[in-house]
Amino acid sequence: MTDAPLIDEELEAFLQSGVSLHAASRGAANAPCLMRALGCRVSPDRRQVTILLAASQCGTMLADFAQNGAIAFVASLPSTHRTVQLKGTDAKAGAPQPGDEAIADRQRAAFRDVLTGMGYDRAMPLALTGGDWSDVVAVTFTPTSAFVQTPGPGAGAALARRP
Amino acid sequence: MKALTLDAIRLGLESEIPALIATCAADGTPNCAYLSQVEYVDPSHVALSWQFFNKTRQNVLANPVACLVVVDTRTIARYRMVIRYLRTETSGPLFERMKAKLAGIASHTGMEGVFKLRGSDVYRVESIERVPGPVLPPPPERRNLLAAVRDCARRIGAVTDLQSLLDTALDCIAENFSVDHALILLRDAGGGRLYTVASRGYPDSGVGSEIALGQGVIGVAARERTPIRIGFAQAEYAYGRAIRESALREGLALETEIPLPGLAESHSQLAVPIEAFGRLLGVLFVESDEDLRFGYDDEDALVAVAGQLGTSIHVMQAAAEAEEAPAEGDAIRTPVAGSPLAVRHFAENDSIFLGRDYLIKGVAGSIFHALVSDFLADGRTEFSNRELRLDPRAKLPDLSDNLEARLILLSRRLDERDAGIRIEKSGRGRFRLVVSRPIELVAAG
Repeated sequence: MTDAPLIDEELEAFLQSGVSLHAASRGAANAPCLMRALGCRVSPDRRQVTILLAASQCGTMLADFAQNGAIAFVASLPSTHRTVQLKGTDAKAGAPQPGDEAIADRQRAAFRDVLTGMGYDRAMPLALTGGDWSDVVAVTFTPTSAFVQTPGPGAGAALARRP
Repeated sequence: MKALTLDAIRLGLESEIPALIATCAADGTPNCAYLSQVEYVDPSHVALSWQFFNKTRQNVLANPVACLVVVDTRTIARYRMVIRYLRTETSGPLFERMKAKLAGIASHTGMEGVFKLRGSDVYRVESIERVPGPVLPPPPERRNLLAAVRDCARRIGAVTDLQSLLDTALDCIAENFSVDHALILLRDAGGGRLYTVASRGYPDSGVGSEIALGQGVIGVAARERTPIRIGFAQAEYAYGRAIRESALREGLALETEIPLPGLAESHSQLAVPIEAFGRLLGVLFVESDEDLRFGYDDEDALVAVAGQLGTSIHVMQAAAEAEEAPAEGDAIRTPVAGSPLAVRHFAENDSIFLGRDYLIKGVAGSIFHALVSDFLADGRTEFSNRELRLDPRAKLPDLSDNLEARLILLSRRLDERDAGIRIEKSGRGRFRLVVSRPIELVAAG
């Protein structure tokens, strides 16, 4: 693979900084399914992203990934509205790795700080990012396209690979 | 377990935590997007704000099935819905409701000038599931709104004249809904305008102030005949402040605009049309300096109260004029003393000034002009609604015009001016001109 990874160092840091994360799948008859994620991890070569999701909250999503691998993944920072979407076709669920729980905990704490900084009562961010770790699954995919989705005229533009 | 209904979770639709939608392109590629607004339409439909020509838009036009996730800010309960795109509305009540609400959301989130409603995308809700996860206990309800509506219904149903009706309605709303600032405006059938006939909670009553159909929260509610509700401070619909400012800028020498009352920093506003028998009679307006003060349930409750208010206004108007006019005579003359008061009448718009002070214009102005003319001609002080309705000098725009409301407006303005001339009710469908100073009528302009 000669192309530079789609995710540069700055985006890698953004994705893992404690932002609002959501994943979507495509099910039977092109019916999508959507859920919030607990955290994410970018591979050292920045060519793969692993999303940590609570299986009990996923609806049909895990079955959809097993069936066709199509995924959309959105990361957004509520305080600035900066939003990025990654897409891939090879999403595959597996067990979380050692250390994933610590990664998710750190990202959830950082996201809670963002929300409390915006004036939300502390209970709300805690509940929003809460969840039982026992049923967490790790869904890994290779981003094949990335888009800016910050609201405004530039929304929808594809992120270019940096050489 | 019973299936979740959209009604049961609609408070969660107006969440400060944005909702997300997932869609699939024709080739099956999923897409995820944040939504500014999810509007409850009815028990089986929601409308989503369409603001940009984006991937979501392309996808639902090609493949109408979507997945919506909303989070109730109060409890953090999450709901996932399967929804199906049906149509886009770009005008009409739903569109105007969402457009006004979006103006508040845009202002609150720093997106003024970015968020602009292109259309209201209506979706059928096919299923709703509660996503497992921790939830917070719901905050206590401020008030049982059904009990509040019941108390309003009982008290409004007990009054027998329009003046008491307006006062009672505002009292009931203030007490039952803990609303500190409220207005009742009635429609001027001829001019496409609304005039304030009663208010609560403002330094000046603003009785007699006017607003055009289509202007501000109140004017849009009247034009579209739908409740308009905004949850955050914003400038786009702040009509009252705009006219106050323009009046000040122009430094009007002859001030004939009565300022529309309004909070300087209104955060939540709700305007509900008052209708009866298929006709728009006016608007009930409430506001607050708190964010998100009025929710769907407050809106429903005030729509119910406005419905009863409308029926009562309609019935009282008909009843007042069905009464037989009294025989002339037995006029009560109050002692007249003091310096003469010049009543100046400008024929071009029937505006009236008492000395240098603006009183009223339009229909109420022409009515007052007729009363004063009769008083000066033969000392007459007793009048009936019925004869006035038939009097061409009153210039009533049409037979359905609410004459009683015009008289209440005139009476309140005279009381506020306290210039030695006023009118008071002397019986059902009758009233009396009470003059305690010499007056002279001056044709001005």
